[in-house]
Amino acid sequence: MFAFLRTVLSRIGGLFGRARFDIEADDEVRTHLSLLTERFVRTGMSPEDARYAALRQFGGITPLKEELRERHMWPQLETTWQDVRYALRHLRKSPGFAVAAVLTLALGIGANSTVFTIINTAFLRPLPVEKPEQLVFLNQGGNANLSYPDYVDFRDRNDVVSGLIAYRFSPISLSMSSGNNSRAWTYEATGNYFDVLGVKPFLGRWFGPQDDDKPGAHPVAVLSYRTWRQRFAADSNVIGRSIRINGLGYTVVGVAPQGFIGTERIISPDLWVPMSMEAQIEPGRYWLNDRGISDVWVLGRLKPAVSRAQAESSLNRIAAQLAHDYAHDEGMHIQLSPPGLVGRNLREPVLAFTTVLMGVAGLVLLLSCLNLAGLLLARASDRRREMALRLALGARRIRLVRQLLTESLLLALAGGTASVLLALWISRACATLNLPFDVPANTTLAIDLRVLLFTFAAALFAVVLFGIAPALQTIRVDLVPALKNEQSTRRLRHWHLRDGIVALQIALSFVLLVSSVLVLRSLRHALDLNLGFQPDGAVSVSFDLGLQGYTPARGRAFQETVLQKAAALPGAQAVGISSNVPLRLGTNDNNVSAVGKPIPPESRLSSAIIYDISTGYLAAAGTRLLAGRDIDWRDRAGAPLAAVVNRTFARTLFPGENAIGQRFRFGSDPKAEQVEIVGMVEDGKYESLGEDPELAVFEPLAQHYNAWTTLVMRTSLPAAEATDGLRRVIAEMASSLPLFNTGSLRDQLAYPLFPARVAAVILGAFGFIAVVLAATGVFALVAYDVSRRAREIGIRVALGASAGQVLNTVLGRIGMLVLVGGTAGAMISLVAGRRLSAVLYGVSPTDPETYTIVLVLMAAISIFSCWHPARRALHIDPSRSLREE
Amino acid sequence: MSQLKSEVLQGTLDLMVLQTLDAMGRQHGYGIARRIEQLSEDVLKLNEGTVYASLLRLIQNGWITSDWGISENNRKAKFYSITRSGRKQLASETAKWQRISGVVGRVLELAREG
Repeated sequence: MFAFLRTVLSRIGGLFGRARFDIEADDEVRTHLSLLTERFVRTGMSPEDARYAALRQFGGITPLKEELRERHMWPQLETTWQDVRYALRHLRKSPGFAVAAVLTLALGIGANSTVFTIINTAFLRPLPVEKPEQLVFLNQGGNANLSYPDYVDFRDRNDVVSGLIAYRFSPISLSMSSGNNSRAWTYEATGNYFDVLGVKPFLGRWFGPQDDDKPGAHPVAVLSYRTWRQRFAADSNVIGRSIRINGLGYTVVGVAPQGFIGTERIISPDLWVPMSMEAQIEPGRYWLNDRGISDVWVLGRLKPAVSRAQAESSLNRIAAQLAHDYAHDEGMHIQLSPPGLVGRNLREPVLAFTTVLMGVAGLVLLLSCLNLAGLLLARASDRRREMALRLALGARRIRLVRQLLTESLLLALAGGTASVLLALWISRACATLNLPFDVPANTTLAIDLRVLLFTFAAALFAVVLFGIAPALQTIRVDLVPALKNEQSTRRLRHWHLRDGIVALQIALSFVLLVSSVLVLRSLRHALDLNLGFQPDGAVSVSFDLGLQGYTPARGRAFQETVLQKAAALPGAQAVGISSNVPLRLGTNDNNVSAVGKPIPPESRLSSAIIYDISTGYLAAAGTRLLAGRDIDWRDRAGAPLAAVVNRTFARTLFPGENAIGQRFRFGSDPKAEQVEIVGMVEDGKYESLGEDPELAVFEPLAQHYNAWTTLVMRTSLPAAEATDGLRRVIAEMASSLPLFNTGSLRDQLAYPLFPARVAAVILGAFGFIAVVLAATGVFALVAYDVSRRAREIGIRVALGASAGQVLNTVLGRIGMLVLVGGTAGAMISLVAGRRLSAVLYGVSPTDPETYTIVLVLMAAISIFSCWHPARRALHIDPSRSLREE
Repeated sequence: MSQLKSEVLQGTLDLMVLQTLDAMGRQHGYGIARRIEQLSEDVLKLNEGTVYASLLRLIQNGWITSDWGISENNRKAKFYSITRSGRKQLASETAKWQRISGVVGRVLELAREG
């Protein structure tokens, strides 16, 4: 192999080294002539005569150099070209083999290239900032957030980072000087943000520390490149223009360069504003001075020569001091992680997910390599005669190996190209993907040099590793029987390498199929799960009155009017407003404790998810009331606090008792206000489909004003029509209010189902590939077996073998392989399936039904693949097959 | 038989060059030409340039390697030495040559006697 590479390299070198070769040859000839001349001079010739004699004895210099030059470059290149041409001709002569091999490679490697592209995008590609390797993200315990005052302390007291920035991702209501409000997302960033990241603005300037010194004093904004293009039509005079955010005027000071989306790879903000504008960006929330609210992400640039471990221990000395000084910071512990995926919050699940993906993709690659090896082996035996003939005619074995490897390399090149195209196509599809989040996400998958290198390395690896064994087998032929076209009967009865390959293929396909079927079944299961509300027949719209500058009093009035008008819409059966809808991002929770029972220690308190709802919401969402009453007119502002709880809440806080009429409080402070339980509803899913039963509280919206709300309407009309009705009602009242999360509740389940859908799509695709590869593998083996044994079968038929006996001959072996491979696959699946439990809802990784399905499927695939070759075996005409050989 | 035909020479020249390098060790083209001239006692009159064609053939087969050095008269010269696979090749070619020359010799002997 290395000798072959060396020859190829020296040939390529020869193409470029022509001039150097000429000079060297000149030097050599000159030395020779001068030595020869000196020799003649020593025998007594005159220098003149000696020189002529030397030239005569040396022979023609020009023809020699010509010969040398040609020999140096062309003959070798010519053999390479010969190899390539010959290989192409051969592949063209067996298009079935060529297509099968290239497709096998494209599927196997394409899957891997795609997964590698995801990994490259999520982890390997450097962030679009200066020296990204110096950046570290500050995690606090299991949380990615710090409070702003803590951030300031870390920033001012540490001596390990050259700059520490804080930023927060928030929704806003954006309007140009002319035109309607639309919803957008901004980074609230500290004044040193751009300076620490070291990026140059595309237009204008960044905001700096001078723009972030006094709360509310500097309404300036930096646009993202995308926002500038899409919302400002790439206007080069945009600097200095005024825009309105939540109704307040801001001045555009700069535009970020293309590709700069900040430091979180999956988030692509629309603009940046100084963090000092926090109160204006998030009306009603003031956290710049509140150590109790942890909601900024903090990132630092390590000083040169400071290691991550040093920085971590130094920052934790400050954390210990803060924990000592402030009750809110008790137990604070900082962990540093690489930036890019919201600290460890997202990084670890994404890492776990991509690891599983890579494992599965690796299996697929192995499978396709095995398939390729099987194909090449079958082909190698077919070419015994050809190889033997060439050997007999005097070809050197190394030349034949080179020939076969050239073929393999051509296949690798074609397969690699096809996989890159496949990966390109998939990442295009991903870029246009509509994510079920109301957040500008960055789904651009980067196909760069690294991906290309990976792909072709994988293709080369696959082909060389799995192409070399067949190549060696081919040239180790015994000339005489091969030339006489006798099948080598020597090993016919024994198990071949090929058989092992097929058994392994079946085992791997089994594993992949089990994973896909498990995930698909769990997705079906998730769709039928009791969610605690009825997603069918209901629509919703969300709006945020706070961003529009509504005071609580005006907001309440607005909400009441909207409810009345919506209830009057045709088809409306029930209408209600809630602070949030289950299974949507941004749930709120708090600790709760029962009144009249011992209060457990802080760490043992139960936490409940909180919804603030209006009368009618439970009916609109389709949440069944099990006991007590719904929230109603009695629960107005100023009245005693009341709440509806779910069954798990009642069971947890008041085990074995009737919860209705009982009281609880938020937190554990005995003096905290008490809340009376007036009703109990069924349990549901609140944060994710896979969660264990959780506690939930539904409080009266009238007693807890929320500016950001979702209106839910149960309707007899189709979802689109009903949604339009709601839009009209709201537009009549406030034409510029941006609406989001509009549509049927069923459609909005896309977010909680997203991980399962992604897993189902990917594993489904892998499962499909596995089926195709297993089927072709089995088919190739049986078809090859039949053609190889045509003579034997012919003799048997001539001697009176029945159809059953012939089938037995052909299928006995493959049946055995399917049995062995399937058993091994089932065993591997039972062990490996546990890795999948994180994405499975309500299906056990050892689900017997799944195994039955896969077993039946594998059997069907095997029978299907054997069908054609088996028929051929039955139709073998002994007189013809015997004469042919 | 003072001048051998060049096509006969080509195969045998390679063998002679290999043999020379095996016997004398590292050597430049001029030295190889001298040694062949001396051993063949002027029977083989070869164009010395053809030695270089032979050397290139041998290099391309990996049987010899080359490196630069200084000749006796202080000029830049390329020195050649035999490799391990070159020695193997020499051994098998020598055996083959001896077999063939033995057979050819016997056949010619018989022809003369007959």
